[in-house]
Amino acid sequence: MNILLLLVPISLVLLGIAIGSFVWAVRRGQFDDLDTPAIDILRDEPLPAPRDDATETRDAD
Amino acid sequence: MDAALPLRETRTAETGACHHCGETLTSDAIRDGNRAFCCNGCAAASTWIREAALGDYYALRTSPAGRVQADAADFGAWDRDVVLAEHSRLVPGGREITVLTDAMRCAACAWLIDRALRRQAGVLDAGANAVTGRIVVSWDPQRVALSTLMQRLSALGYRPWLATGEAREQAQRRERRRWLVRLGVAGLGAIQAMMFAEALYLDTAQQMPVATRDFFRWITFMVCTPVVFYSGWPFLEGMWRELRGRRVGMDTLIAGSTLLAYFASLVETLRGGTHVWYDAAVMFVLLLLVARMFEQRARGIASAQVDALARARPALALRERDDGSAEQVPLNEIVVGDILRVAAGEAVPADGVLLDHAASFDEALITGESTPVRRDAGDAALAGSVCREQSARLRVVRTGADTRLSQLTRLVEQAQSARPRLARAAERVAGGFVVALLLCAVATFAWWHVHEPARALEVTLALLVVSCPCALSLAIPTALTTAHGALARIGVLGVREDALSTLARVDRVVLDKTGTLSNGRPELDSVATFGHLDATAALSIAAALERGSAHPLAQAFAHVDADREARGVQAIAGRGIEGDVDGMHWRLGRADFAAAHTDDGALWLGDGTRAFARITIRETMREDAREAVAALRGVGVSVELCSGDAGDAVASFARQVGIDEFHARRSPEDKLARVRAAQARGEVVAMVGDGLNDAPVLAGADVSLAMAEGAALAQRAADLVVTSPSLLRVPQAIVLARRTQSIIRQNLAWALGYNVLAIPLAATGHVTPWIAALGMAASSLLVTLNALRLGRRERTSRRPA
Repeated sequence: MNILLLLVPISLVLLGIAIGSFVWAVRRGQFDDLDTPAIDILRDEPLPAPRDDATETRDAD
Repeated sequence: MDAALPLRETRTAETGACHHCGETLTSDAIRDGNRAFCCNGCAAASTWIREAALGDYYALRTSPAGRVQADAADFGAWDRDVVLAEHSRLVPGGREITVLTDAMRCAACAWLIDRALRRQAGVLDAGANAVTGRIVVSWDPQRVALSTLMQRLSALGYRPWLATGEAREQAQRRERRRWLVRLGVAGLGAIQAMMFAEALYLDTAQQMPVATRDFFRWITFMVCTPVVFYSGWPFLEGMWRELRGRRVGMDTLIAGSTLLAYFASLVETLRGGTHVWYDAAVMFVLLLLVARMFEQRARGIASAQVDALARARPALALRERDDGSAEQVPLNEIVVGDILRVAAGEAVPADGVLLDHAASFDEALITGESTPVRRDAGDAALAGSVCREQSARLRVVRTGADTRLSQLTRLVEQAQSARPRLARAAERVAGGFVVALLLCAVATFAWWHVHEPARALEVTLALLVVSCPCALSLAIPTALTTAHGALARIGVLGVREDALSTLARVDRVVLDKTGTLSNGRPELDSVATFGHLDATAALSIAAALERGSAHPLAQAFAHVDADREARGVQAIAGRGIEGDVDGMHWRLGRADFAAAHTDDGALWLGDGTRAFARITIRETMREDAREAVAALRGVGVSVELCSGDAGDAVASFARQVGIDEFHARRSPEDKLARVRAAQARGEVVAMVGDGLNDAPVLAGADVSLAMAEGAALAQRAADLVVTSPSLLRVPQAIVLARRTQSIIRQNLAWALGYNVLAIPLAATGHVTPWIAALGMAASSLLVTLNALRLGRRERTSRRPA
């Protein structure tokens, strides 16, 4: 049964890590919006081209 | 009649929908390749989206975007330090602000907003949430002005509004996150504690060495402690509050049982007793926390109301300087005595007294009165009311938190924090239940203490755990939350808490015509002219008069080329509009008003005595109106049509959709009287309207549904808002409401039946605490799963089109 002395602390450490990462994820706002990110995966995006001022002014009208 | 011009023919060739906002296209549509747009704004937005390589937006979205306002608002004043200080906060590298928008309807909109903002140089981060309608932007003020970003949003059709203040937004976010962390800690901790507890339970033959057993007990104690005291803190706090108020409620029972299980286990651990009940304590906290989260979500649905109020108060005001020129100032710079200018169509920023001349104000938000009220010089104008028809000047008498609007916002917030009547009833039942239970527990303890002292604590604990009214407290919130979720998916938002329970009992539905059965977009049907005027000229004069009018009929003329200018235009409520065009005084409206004829339901153009043209307006029926009426009948609800329009139009409309009972030319008061009469007969009446001029009826009916195309703020009078354009959602919502009611009844019956059965068993010592915890968990799970059926079947069978 001595193996317990190793396994139990390991499980506690894992528990600590799990809680820690959960708290981290919540603080980072990972759970604030559960709908929008789902759609991101549907598309792999080319790198955004820098937008120049010419198009910007055309938009304004 | 000299000539009848069939307008329909000339326009069919152009029909189609705007590529960007889905608006029906008209003759002046802008075409670009195979796409067409209703206005410059939409065209520019679409061009920008395509050039920014965000064209996928059109493939991803599930509902069309909002129409882009051509006259983009000026956000220049948002860059001022005062505004920034109140509405944004400092983050590393710049500032962060939360803005609201009402046009965001699906995840694709949020996606587009995200991308569009991030393309702008100087934007650090952007996040849009389609569920709450909020956009959080952080940007570097040195590199880009906030107004530029807001201009961008506005140009895409998402007009931003300042939220109620950064502090409140922050507080809400923090609160939500704290609950999530509590739940996470409880979930992970409870699973772990149960695993250790299992090791103790499985030692049925008592072969485990005492040292190992104690080791497990201490480990469980360690894992259990944060769950009880951190995750369970809301309950402990609730118990403290209840005890201080000399009441006994659910929190007392929950926290009391948890603490009893926890401390009794600790005592047993210390003295090496036979049983510990740590598992019961943690499972208790976890399950009840889940129940609370469900309930809070159901309550959060109503938060749209506060957002509407926040939008009603403009962020800036136009203040007059001493020399007569005007400057834009943020609201909190206004002091009592300032003179403000309010343009037509804008909201009044502070309570004030009207100067100079009379003006009319739409006070729907504040009083629920939907028709604009006329205020003379010297009368009060309330913050949040919308100035109609012509601009006004006023002197400020109250600002900020003293205004009626602020008081109202506080009222709505209070109403939101109030719980649904049903849930309150359950709470009261549970309150009495708790007292009975505590007495029962004391009696049980006393009896066992006399007869078999060794088991007294165990039996009492089992009794407390097994009888926990958490299934009872879960029964209603879970069902309501699931039902609201299912409703939201088909495009119906429950704004008031008790709407669903009333909707389930409905046996008569009163429908409004314009905007409800019709799609609210009037179209020109035919023009007949008399005398020297030709049809084109008549239309042009009518269009000039209607230009700038907020009346729904004005939309019919929006696409007519009006090369004339109208002066001194005045609207006469319920009759028509008058003004000078080309040096002549014209009236447009009901026949008795414009041409001294008897009213025949058509729109007449005249000078008050002679008729010049008779214009008929056609309304297009909603595609599924017929089907919806049939569906309503199918669920055993009688349907009637009540409209303010003329007899013939209403009759033909009623025939088209298959309604036998219809009433024409009804004022809002008449409609209300009809509703009252039906109620007097003992019927439960639901009113469906567009919220534009139906506010009194909507408020008077037992339950009211507003179609979302109506005025956003007038929807406050409604219990439910139908955001989907389909009228079929009304019968669907009724069916769902009835199912919700039956699920709630099943849940309550189960929860009570379970307790009636379990309590005697526990009191007689036939249940050990762990079986009790299992029974309680199973009971709660059953109730939750039963409630979830509401959402599941809805999703498979009624997918929104």
